[in-house]
Amino acid sequence: MTTDPTTVDPDLRKVLRDVLDGDLHDRLGQATTGVTLDVALWDQLSELGFTALTTPEEHGGSGAGWLEAAALLGESAAAARHLPFAESDLLAQWLLREIGCPPDDPATARTVAIVEPSGTARAVPWLGQVPVVVAARRQDDTLAVAELTPDEVAACATITPVPTHSGQPRADLTFTADLPEATVLDAATAAGVLDQLALRGALARAVQGVGALDKAVDLCVEHTSVRVQFGRPLTKFQAVQQLVADAAAEATLARAAVDAAVLDAAATGLTGPSSATKVAAARSCVGHATSVVVRNAHQAHGAIGTTQEHPLQLFTLPALDWRGEFGTTRDWDRFLGETVRSHPNALWNVVVGEPASDANPAVPGVGGRR
Amino acid sequence: MPTLMPPPVREGDDLLALRQEVRAFLAEELAAGTYRPTVDTWLSGWDRAFTTKLAERGWLGMTIPTEYGGHGRTFLERFVVTEELLAAGAPVAAHWIADRQVAPTLLRFGSEQLKRTYLPRIVAGEVFFGIGMSEPDSGSDLASVRTRAERVDDGWKVYGTKLWTSGGHLADAFIALVRTAPPAEKDGRVDRHSGLSQLLVRLNEPGIEIRPVISANGLHHFNEVLLDGAFVPDDHVVGTLGEGWHQVTSELAFERSGPERFLSTYQLANAVAGPDGDLDVAETGRIAGRLAGLHQMSLAIAAALQRGERPDVPAALVKVLGTTLEGDIADLVDLAMPAGETGGTAALARRAVQQRPGFTLRGGTNEILRGVIARGLGMR
Repeated sequence: MTTDPTTVDPDLRKVLRDVLDGDLHDRLGQATTGVTLDVALWDQLSELGFTALTTPEEHGGSGAGWLEAAALLGESAAAARHLPFAESDLLAQWLLREIGCPPDDPATARTVAIVEPSGTARAVPWLGQVPVVVAARRQDDTLAVAELTPDEVAACATITPVPTHSGQPRADLTFTADLPEATVLDAATAAGVLDQLALRGALARAVQGVGALDKAVDLCVEHTSVRVQFGRPLTKFQAVQQLVADAAAEATLARAAVDAAVLDAAATGLTGPSSATKVAAARSCVGHATSVVVRNAHQAHGAIGTTQEHPLQLFTLPALDWRGEFGTTRDWDRFLGETVRSHPNALWNVVVGEPASDANPAVPGVGGRR
Repeated sequence: MPTLMPPPVREGDDLLALRQEVRAFLAEELAAGTYRPTVDTWLSGWDRAFTTKLAERGWLGMTIPTEYGGHGRTFLERFVVTEELLAAGAPVAAHWIADRQVAPTLLRFGSEQLKRTYLPRIVAGEVFFGIGMSEPDSGSDLASVRTRAERVDDGWKVYGTKLWTSGGHLADAFIALVRTAPPAEKDGRVDRHSGLSQLLVRLNEPGIEIRPVISANGLHHFNEVLLDGAFVPDDHVVGTLGEGWHQVTSELAFERSGPERFLSTYQLANAVAGPDGDLDVAETGRIAGRLAGLHQMSLAIAAALQRGERPDVPAALVKVLGTTLEGDIADLVDLAMPAGETGGTAALARRAVQQRPGFTLRGGTNEILRGVIARGLGMR
């Protein structure tokens, strides 16, 4: 049995909860008003070392790993604190290091735009709100990567906001001119980098999703404990117990699949032989768990849960958004299904987390690039 | 949400090596034709010869300490061995109950003499057990059992009927939950959990009649066990008289958390999901993902059992999710199965569909288990 830790330091989790928790009421309307980057909170979290958590210390980060990153993402999802942790630290800064250009200001919020050959990057998170966009443009088989300020973006591209359920900012980025001063990766390097980006983004969304689902189940327990009908709290009704138990079971299954992928990521940096299938299993389980948890949580909450004044939507709506980013649930189902079909032993390999096949199907998730 | 599961586990190289050992054995046996892979083999695949082979390799009673003839291995090691055997559709029913829950029960509660008598024989695959809990009028409401034991010289005489005793017609013994004393009154209320005891009943004793209960598809694994004054010596009382309820409920994690709760139809899943299968590719992926998640949950529970924890709520989660999935696999295949279809996959599917109703009943119905989960959530 491995002796590597499989859970994050409880003290870190407590610090995260303390700093991220807070009154939800100021954010209840954000699905319609839109989420805006809380610069003051970002700066505060930067001072605590949380905004460049996995960036190596030699590049000014905190040098932590995927376990800690997962704790941060999960706790922020469970607190409905939407900040570009994943985009900036796990994606942008990782990509800049990969191309040999680690930034000297790791606390600056960044996002990554993966630009299709057509010239458009779809549903780029935080576009228009973060001070730096790392654009990765696919041209033939190569990848051109450049850091752009808002002015530089304006000079060569247009930004078109796209709708989300939760109000989290997403926008299409359409280039009208070439990237200025890009670093160009050759085809072999580019393919690997894009797959890694896809897996990193997909796992981040899985972690956020399951954080939100757990919180939705929490709210179910809370609501059914205090809501009285027929002279009794709803928790006394077996039908209600079963509804919430099923939601909790689905969230637990998703958590188990996500934990396995996070542990793999912590050990291999998502470059292991079974990293892709573990991420895929996590995304599949979280995506389908979202169906059950959202349905049952709303059913348990009754009409109040459908309103803007109730916080349930602060967790169900982001979960629904996240399951469609870096590949849809169906994309990941298909990826796993094709992996399983590739070899007579592949199903079992996927189940027990062993390398499933030499020829993995195309990793979904970077803007429909294949 | 409160943390319902024990922390996750990453399998190390030692466990992978053990998996490969089991796979090599199974490949040899399959090639030699000593078993035919099918579904639900831990309930209906009774094969003494196969069990003996597993015993020879040290894969029975793995977690039993060496002082009782066992192998002193971990629950994680037992987990990977049983998981590989189940996935391969190997016949493991003969020793399943003894290995899974009788051994841990005897280790925890049994007298030194009981342990010395039975544990080495469980390890050797020489003694087989059934379960003696349910009765005609006591299913989910187990505490209502009416089978009773009367005090006689040197022991007890047991009267009553046990039902749904799988493999009872082939087993040597079962541990019966019986009433040895009337329920006590506590604070003016009857405590029906009191006065129950666990007795190790040898099924070849006089006064025992075992009647088959044939399943709708003709399979015979269920039995009704009629006890009419069957003698149980004092030294076959398991644990403490009157503590039967506590003892029974403390073994539930062993019974409910294992890979048999999501792999009963694995052979069918593999047949329709692999290169030659015709299951929808996205459905294939969804099922693979769920199986992978359940594997992780069951593995984490095995580690918790190794630490001596009693992960009842996690076990209920595995069983609710897993038994639903293994049944859904059967149904999913059946949805695309034309009438009259013959061949290997059709036969597996037919058996799986027929066995399916039992998946979510045996070992605690999913409705009872959801209640356990709700309690874990603090709802009751």
